[in-house]
Amino acid sequence: MSVLVIIDQAPYGSWRGRESLDMALSLAAFDQPASLLFTGPGVNWLRAGQEPAGLSQKAVERNVSAAPIFGIEELLVDRQSLAKYQLEPSALIAGTSTVDYTPELLANYYHVVCL
Amino acid sequence: MHSQTAFTLVITGAPYSTQAPQTALAFAKAALAQGYSIDRVFLYGDGVHLSSALAAPPSDETNWPKAWAEFLQGNDIPAVACIASALRRGILNNEEQARYQRNASNIIEPFELLGLGEWVESIASTSKTLYFHGDH
Repeated sequence: MSVLVIIDQAPYGSWRGRESLDMALSLAAFDQPASLLFTGPGVNWLRAGQEPAGLSQKAVERNVSAAPIFGIEELLVDRQSLAKYQLEPSALIAGTSTVDYTPELLANYYHVVCL
Repeated sequence: MHSQTAFTLVITGAPYSTQAPQTALAFAKAALAQGYSIDRVFLYGDGVHLSSALAAPPSDETNWPKAWAEFLQGNDIPAVACIASALRRGILNNEEQARYQRNASNIIEPFELLGLGEWVESIASTSKTLYFHGDH
């Protein structure tokens, strides 16, 4: 059983997603199994080819891509949200799994965090 | 008494922006009154503003950092502000003031600046972890 950290806000407009990612990476660093789920505007975290330099911010894409290297078990993305944003899986960074965001999905995790 | 149940409270909403610190304090007082215990309070994100000793609200409003500090000290509850969240938002203790060569420190006792490992420890323990977010 692992912890699920949910990111439901778009990148760059709020620091909340970055601090959610830090929570997931911290769990992994302390050998606690953790996964990430992107839903709603949060699916925009997974777009390939982000160029936020004009905002004086670092691309979140690189951090998320590296998350599995640091021990994050799954990068899950909500199927309905992808459709809403007209995002094809091919437009996303590598390593994501498309899932249905349902109560049954959440039941697979012993702790769920959504900042 | 319910001595077997203990809570960890994670507060992510700032005082005077959200009701999170107030709701969490009401919960904490009610929990103790019912015989539950509180393992730890963890401030994260904007919640770290609750550990500022410099908050100076008008005298007819509650000073939430002070109210929380008194509650924590009176009940001997450990309290942590996430160091990464706190440094970004200008909450410093003496050690970090010296490290970053700032002209003041402002964390209110008994809050300590520590890492997310404190939160991870709560998740991995039998403590029930509750979140007070404030705006959703």
